Amino acid sequence: MKEEILIEVKGLKKGYKKRKTKEWVQAVNNVSFTVKRGEILGLLGPNGAGKTTTIKMICGLIVPDEGEVVINGITMQKNRLKGLEHISAVLEGNRNLYWRLTARENLEYFAGNRGKSRKEKMGEIEKLLSEFKLKQKENELVSNLSRGMQQKLALAVALLADSDVILLDEPTLGLDIETGYEVRQLLKKISEAGKTIIISTHDMPVVQDLCERTVIINNGKVIADEKVEELMNLFETSAYVLTLGNELTEQQQKELDAKFPINELLDGGKLTITLEQDNDIYDLMDLLKKENTIIEKIDRTTIDFEEVFMNLIQEEKNHAIHSIN
Amino acid sequence: MPFIQLIKANTRMEFIEMKRYLPNTLSMIATVYIIFLGMLLGINVIGDPAQAEANIQHLIVNYIFWYLTLMTLSNIGFTITMEATRGTLEQLYMSPLGMWKILLSRLIGYIALHGVIVIGLLYLSMATANQWLYLKPDITLTILLITLVGIVGVGFMIAGASVIFKQIQAFMQILQFILAALAFVPLSVAPILILAPFVKGVDMIRHVMIQGYSWTDFTAMDYTALIANSLLYLLIGIFFYLKCEKIAMSRGLLGNY
Repeated sequence: MKEEILIEVKGLKKGYKKRKTKEWVQAVNNVSFTVKRGEILGLLGPNGAGKTTTIKMICGLIVPDEGEVVINGITMQKNRLKGLEHISAVLEGNRNLYWRLTARENLEYFAGNRGKSRKEKMGEIEKLLSEFKLKQKENELVSNLSRGMQQKLALAVALLADSDVILLDEPTLGLDIETGYEVRQLLKKISEAGKTIIISTHDMPVVQDLCERTVIINNGKVIADEKVEELMNLFETSAYVLTLGNELTEQQQKELDAKFPINELLDGGKLTITLEQDNDIYDLMDLLKKENTIIEKIDRTTIDFEEVFMNLIQEEKNHAIHSIN
Repeated sequence: MPFIQLIKANTRMEFIEMKRYLPNTLSMIATVYIIFLGMLLGINVIGDPAQAEANIQHLIVNYIFWYLTLMTLSNIGFTITMEATRGTLEQLYMSPLGMWKILLSRLIGYIALHGVIVIGLLYLSMATANQWLYLKPDITLTILLITLVGIVGVGFMIAGASVIFKQIQAFMQILQFILAALAFVPLSVAPILILAPFVKGVDMIRHVMIQGYSWTDFTAMDYTALIANSLLYLLIGIFFYLKCEKIAMSRGLLGNY
């Protein structure tokens, strides 16, 4: 069965002039990707990479200079309000709520803002308050709730919209470990309900736990668009830890840096290295053999998504430097 | 009807906020009551006794209009600024009903609540001062409501400026003097002001309250001018707001404060 594409992001470009220096910044440069119905996509990138601008262009809050976003067949740039029937979002976490209203009043207000009556949404509001463990605090002002509870409430507000797509910008930002875990579990539950989700985040456990696929953006460009599992495999099979019996010579270190830029010499003679191709292992062996470096042990590393992300960003930087040179 | 739900939700929101910020609401009520009372009692003392009743009627009509206009106009701009500061503005823009409808329903709620309070206070102060003004609620309220439609239009223009610039307090200060001039200058003195927002409405209500005009005393031209003026300002206001919204979205200004 053909999987239905729900979101198409086509060649988005957005640039700004910096207020003080008047310098032109290309925040997003030809970003394209698609998201299938029911898929959870992680949108990653360092600070200033263009993630939030991309998310806001998907919701139609920022108009792109070029390109378009199509959601469920509706072009956001042509019919934004119709498109918004399919989207809800948590853009600024707990700041998306009215702090002088109670948890329940917030849910009721945002339901009304989408044209739904309190009566119509009563059952769903009750269910969400219970599921998100907010029932006991339903009549508390949001300003009196903990940050974690506020974040959960913001998620509940987005869910109440009953849209096909949910966009989450940094849903676990600023949460302690326990609440972060709790929010992750809730996101898992939401994903199991068949929603299509785009999560922009720095929180790698969120990506590893929830996302099936990830789009990594750096300097406004997509540098990777792969399934999380495939990215993990790619880096897992090419990352090694070598325990060396003697130190590398200066010449060896230079050659190593030139041929295998992602390497790190750790205490105890341990060398972690990422190889781009499987055959590179022979070149590495040759390089070590030249100075009779003793190899005591070779292990393939277990890698987490944070390292995958860092490797990709590093590769992109190296590539940029090579292009300049 | 989604729009009815939107109005209900936003009216309830305005009511809850009035309750949550109770000291502010109470001081607003006290201020308006004292002003009405002051006008009802004071004019008798300060003004010419022969002209006292006409003076009071004139002053109170002008004051109510000035107050409602200022409240309406500053509310819509203030809403945008507040929402941007809180971080909820972009969330409101995620509504498939459109932000202009949310703003309109906020205003409807705001005007309804404040209208009830102001009219209630007017009757309360008349009872306190035992000075009963010549009010004809049917015609006065109808003209007032039609006039407010035009004021809402001007409010949308201010909202549009707020979406782009966010801080418009200085402009609002100047505006209140312009509004006072429009509310207090009779149309007979400057007929050109018929083109300005709400001036025709104030003039007609003055005729009702001071000269005792009824429905039939006004010509079809009067009603046409009143309705056309209000509708025109509403349409121009919404058009201007949507244009500003487009500019803010293409410059990425919605989330900025």
